[in-house]
Amino acid sequence: MPNLTQVLAAAFLAGAAPLAAQPPAPAPSPATAAPASLTLAFTGIARPEGFVMVALFDSEAGWRENRPVRTVRAAVAGASAQALFDGLPPGRYGVKSFHDMDGDGRMGTNPFGIPIEPFAFSNGARGAAGPAGWAEAAFELRAGANRHAIAIQ
Amino acid sequence: MTPTLDRRAFLAAGFAAAAAAIVTPEMALAGAAPPAWLLGVGDVEADLPEQAMRLVHGRAPAGFAGRLYRNGPAKFRRGGSAAGHWFDGDGLVRKFEVQGGRARLTARFVDTPKRRLEARLGAMVQPGFGTPPGPGARIANTEDVNAANTGVMMAGGELLALWEGGSPARLDPASLETRGFRTFRPDLRYMPFQAHPRDEPGGAVWNMGLSGAQAIAWKLNGDGSLARADVIELPRRSYFHDFTATARHLVIVLQPWINESFRLPLATGMLWRPELGTQVLVLDKDDLSRRRIFELPSFAFFHLGDAWEESDGTIRFDGAFEADPSFGQRAAAALLRGEHHRMPHPILTQVVLRPDGRAELLPAGVAAEFPSSDRRFSGLARRYTNHVTHYRDTPFPHAIARWDWQSGRETLFDFGDHQLVEEFLFAPRGGGEGNGWLIGTTLNLARNATELHLLDAERLAAGPVASWRAALPLPLTFHGTFAA
Repeated sequence: MPNLTQVLAAAFLAGAAPLAAQPPAPAPSPATAAPASLTLAFTGIARPEGFVMVALFDSEAGWRENRPVRTVRAAVAGASAQALFDGLPPGRYGVKSFHDMDGDGRMGTNPFGIPIEPFAFSNGARGAAGPAGWAEAAFELRAGANRHAIAIQ
Repeated sequence: MTPTLDRRAFLAAGFAAAAAAIVTPEMALAGAAPPAWLLGVGDVEADLPEQAMRLVHGRAPAGFAGRLYRNGPAKFRRGGSAAGHWFDGDGLVRKFEVQGGRARLTARFVDTPKRRLEARLGAMVQPGFGTPPGPGARIANTEDVNAANTGVMMAGGELLALWEGGSPARLDPASLETRGFRTFRPDLRYMPFQAHPRDEPGGAVWNMGLSGAQAIAWKLNGDGSLARADVIELPRRSYFHDFTATARHLVIVLQPWINESFRLPLATGMLWRPELGTQVLVLDKDDLSRRRIFELPSFAFFHLGDAWEESDGTIRFDGAFEADPSFGQRAAAALLRGEHHRMPHPILTQVVLRPDGRAELLPAGVAAEFPSSDRRFSGLARRYTNHVTHYRDTPFPHAIARWDWQSGRETLFDFGDHQLVEEFLFAPRGGGEGNGWLIGTTLNLARNATELHLLDAERLAAGPVASWRAALPLPLTFHGTFAA
C-alpha cells in the first residue's frame, strides 16, 4: 500500500494544514439582514492541551481554495473547546478545524505528510483520503445566535 | 498424509491435468461447482478459541516446543459486497503452539478500525491494494484502512501484526488480543511499516515503509524499541513489498512496476514498465547516503531471501522472480471470484552484485514462492533457501522444498494435490545452517481442515515427522514467525 500515504498526504495538506497561515479574507461589508453569531462547541478532545485551530468558510469556492472568512484559535479546556464568531451575515458556512496539540500553529504531519494531529469538519463530515466536501460540511446560519457542535477525532 | 491418500491424489492430478488441457477456466466456471481451492480464500466468521489439534501422523520430536504465528486475510465478503483482491481481506492471526508433543490452535482477527467499520455497515467498503472505496468508506489516515493481514513479528515481548501501508498492530502474544497500533515515535504516527523485517546479526531488525519515491528505513533494537528511522530518496517510484539486507547493507530491488499516479484502489495507479529494467539500490546501513545502483533485466517479484556479502564485496541474495506482475495485478484478484488465471510461476533466482558494478541473475530453474531460511544466518553467508513449489493445476503450491545453492540440488516433499501448502519456516535444532525443522501449515482440501506439519529440514523427502489436524479449515496465510 505504498501510494496510500501519498494519497492521504496530498489531499489533506491541500485542505487543513495551512489554516493558521491563511490571512482571513477582508471583513464582509455590513450586512443588510440582522447579523448572526456562531458558537462552535468542540468535543471529544483526547488530550487536554494546546488549541483548536478553526477556519470558517462562507462559500464553496472559498472552501475549495482554502480562503477562510474568519480564523480563530480556541484554547482547550479539558475535553472541549469553544469558538465564538459574531457579526456574520446569515447564510451557509463550513468549518475546518484541527487540534493543535503541540501549539505550534501548524497541523502536524509525519515525514510523508499525513496529518498526525486530530481534525474535524462541520456537520461531522468526513472526507475519503482528503478533506470533506463543501456539500457535506456546509450548514445554515440564521440571524441571531447559532450553535454547532464538532467532535474532534 | 498416508501414502494411499497421496497416490490417489496423484492419480486424480493426472485426470485433472488432462481435463485442464481441454477446458478453459472460463468454460470450467460456467455452471461448474466452485473449485475446491476456493476454501483457501474463504471467509471465517468468528475468532477461534484455543483448541487442541489432533495428531494424525508421526509424533513431535522430544523437547520440541514453540509457537508458530501466522497471518493472512480471512474475511473478504460482507452482505453482497466483497474485497476486490486477495491482499485486502481482514487479517486473522493464528497461533499454533507445540508443547509436550501436543499442538493447540488459537485464531483471532486483528481488531482494526477497518474491520469494526465494515462489521457495523455489513459491507466491505474500505479501499486497499485492489479494492475500491465503497459507500461509507472512512479514510482519514492509514490506520483506517489497515487490514493488518500480511505478516507478524515479535518485538519486545509483543506480537506485531504487519501490513505494509501503515503502522503494525500490537497483539498480546498469548491471547492474540489487539492492543491498538504501535507508534514508534509520536511524529512517525501513520508511517508505513512493511511486512518483511530483516534480522541483523546481533539482534537489530530493519524494515522499510514505502511512499512513492521515498521510503522510510526503520531500525529496531533487539527489545523492539526504535533505534532510528530515516527517510531515503529512491531513484524511481517502484512498488516493492519486500527488501533484503546483508550485515552491513540494505538492498532494495526496484522492479519496473511503477507507482505512476495516486489512485484507489492502489494497484490501478501502478504500471508495468519492463523497458526500464530492474534496478538494485544498495545502501550502507551506517551511512544511508552512501549508495550504489546496479542494473538488471526487468523482472517482477514480491519476495526476497536474506542477503549476504562475500569477502571481496560481492553481494548475493535470492528471490522468487516472475516475468511480469500479472499475478498481483489480476490473478490474485480473480482468486476471490473462484477464477484461476494460469500463468508462469515465479522462479527461484539468485542475484549477484559484483564489486565492479556488474550484476547478474542466476536462475535455479525451479518454481518457488515464500522463500525462508535459517534466521541465525540472516545477513550472513548461507546455503539453503526453503520455499513452496509444485503448483500444478491449482493457483496454490503443493510441495515444500529446500534449495541448496552450493550443490544446485533440491530436496522436497509433495503433500499431494489435495493439500495447499503455505509458507514453511525454519526452527533451529543444533548448530550449523539448516540443522533444524521446517514448520508450517497446509490446507487439506480432502479433509476440509487446516494442518500443522513439522519436517526435518535435512530429510525433507521423508515427509513430516509429525502432523496435526485442526477441526476446521482456515483460509491460506501469507507470512508468519516462529518463536521458540
